[in-house]
Amino acid sequence: MRRSVWLPAALFALACLSACSEKGVKIGVSAPLSGDIAALGQSTRNAVLLAQEEINAKGGIKVGGAMQKVTFIVEDDENKPEAAATVFQKLISQDKVVAIIGSQSSKCSNAGAPIAEAAGIPQISPWSTNPNVTAGKHFVFRACFIDPFQGKAVAGFARGKMKAATAAVLYDVASDYNKGIAEVFRDEFTKGGGKIVNFETYNTNDKDFSAQLSKIKGSTPDVLFLPNYFNDVPLQIQQARKLGMTCKVIGSDGWDNQELIKMGGKDMEGTYFTNHYSPDVDRPASKAFIAKYTKKYNTQVDAAAALTYDSVYLLVQAIEKAGKADPKAIRDAIASTKNFDGVTGAITFNGSGDPVKGAVIIRIENGKFVFDSAVN
Amino acid sequence: MLATVIQQLLNAAQLGAVYALIALGYTMVYGTIRLINFAHGDIFMLGGFIGFLLVTLIPGLPVFVMIPAAMLLTALVGVLIERVAYRKLRNAQRMSLVITALGVGIFLENLVRLIVGPQARQIPAQLPNKALKFANGVVITEDKILIIVISLLLMVILWLFVNKTLIGTAMRAVADNKDAVQLMGVNLNLVISTTFAVGSALAAAGGIFFGQAYSIDPYMGIDLGWKAFIAAVIGGIGSIEGAVLGSFLLAGVEVLTVAYLSSNLKNGIAFGLLIVLLLIRPNGIMGRAELKKV
Repeated sequence: MRRSVWLPAALFALACLSACSEKGVKIGVSAPLSGDIAALGQSTRNAVLLAQEEINAKGGIKVGGAMQKVTFIVEDDENKPEAAATVFQKLISQDKVVAIIGSQSSKCSNAGAPIAEAAGIPQISPWSTNPNVTAGKHFVFRACFIDPFQGKAVAGFARGKMKAATAAVLYDVASDYNKGIAEVFRDEFTKGGGKIVNFETYNTNDKDFSAQLSKIKGSTPDVLFLPNYFNDVPLQIQQARKLGMTCKVIGSDGWDNQELIKMGGKDMEGTYFTNHYSPDVDRPASKAFIAKYTKKYNTQVDAAAALTYDSVYLLVQAIEKAGKADPKAIRDAIASTKNFDGVTGAITFNGSGDPVKGAVIIRIENGKFVFDSAVN
Repeated sequence: MLATVIQQLLNAAQLGAVYALIALGYTMVYGTIRLINFAHGDIFMLGGFIGFLLVTLIPGLPVFVMIPAAMLLTALVGVLIERVAYRKLRNAQRMSLVITALGVGIFLENLVRLIVGPQARQIPAQLPNKALKFANGVVITEDKILIIVISLLLMVILWLFVNKTLIGTAMRAVADNKDAVQLMGVNLNLVISTTFAVGSALAAAGGIFFGQAYSIDPYMGIDLGWKAFIAAVIGGIGSIEGAVLGSFLLAGVEVLTVAYLSSNLKNGIAFGLLIVLLLIRPNGIMGRAELKKV
């Protein structure tokens, strides 16, 4: 009988001791550290750890007059919606984080957002461009543009500069991002006077696209639009070229990772894609970040890393402005952000969770991502 | 029009060849010890990575040395897995064995992820891959032809091995009645080890071809394994000819659905066909009804 009273009491004391002794701000990160776009998860973690190191080297975050160290808890969501939901749940209820950065793919952010919203924990997704991520939510933000804008930009580029009259689309129908932007492109390209000759789908983890591509080859489009992630795109282009297809190829921001060049090689030459920023655009914040990142990790910066870094500092600024590590106060501070000077451009929130940002068109030339033009 | 049909049939043949190389391992293991070896898709993945490592660690290794070497190494892993994970459970409930197989699969996926990382890779072009263009617009690369031809050749060799050699005869005998053959003095462990070795070697060839034609990553065995397993079931699990037939049939249906109906319906039609087929022939196309012993 005595034990049954003492044990819970001891456990409670222990729990309190560990929780109470822990000072500092805890921020959760949900990233695809394994799975099909794991390379992007690595960039995310790199950017977060770089920021954590910088912030703590300066003594931490200034919360209401006192400096507090910041700890980022980076969890793996495997780029699977069900795993992302578990990660969000764990970060909120077990780690008691004050805010969450993530996830990267729209399908994972879509799975996590309702959980963050219900718990009243602010979430900033660096790279999720699908409109549904923030739609109708109070606590969910993003650091990037959205697909209705991106789809319009890429369709405009295809119709305008590439002078394409016909286009074919091949996209992953099981992924929110790919499907969303494919549909925007189809509508915008048609509205601009072009004709969509094929609108083909595949499923996540498919590796053989030859059946869809052979079909597309039969209708000889001027341009092939591949709004997919960097792990699938090189295979699609290689298989298209192997089938003797010579049409121009364009893509979207899901392309931006060095894996694209590593795997695609010379087949990627002469293709274009829309992106969040280009290292070629001269911005002091951008230059400084690229220098620090490449020095520490000896690898190229992708947009996901830059946007993650922006999300972290956006959040840190909001916590300092709120003056307390309270989720509701942080949320209000994020929502009132004006002209935050980020690596990827200025970020301002006007009542919704979506900032107004421009896009750039990138051309692949000699294995490098080269700035082509800007779209605002 | 005709050019597109030919092109699509070649696409289906390449995909079917890879399915068949995996499906054979499922069907052979099932034939001998009645185990659905759910780790087999991951053996296929492992074979691809062994090939990849051989190519990257030993530059200039000729492709016709690399493929047999990778097949041999993967065969050894297959035998080892059977010895360590399955043999003790051979007479346990069948469910224990299936769960163990799933566990072995997860172990292999994570082992490869730890060693080589989670990124997808391609086995650097080993087979010649010049594009051959025909007058009617059909374009086929040499590696595609080689993949189809070598796969078919391996299947013929397997057929000869199973039907014309002593150990092959023993394998068929074990498939018929595991207990009776032991009374006849057949070394059951040797036969089962051989089955795992041959199945794993074929899967390794499939993995290498897949890594050459498409790409390899630690998780590729999950989806491909399922597809090949389904192909084996369509053909009649336990039957070698059935596994090959089922694989080409499944690939054909998948490709032709994309080509002439809609890419959205690919899996729906393919698996719908499986259900209809199993309703008509519950044991698959070439499968035999199993006699229940009381």
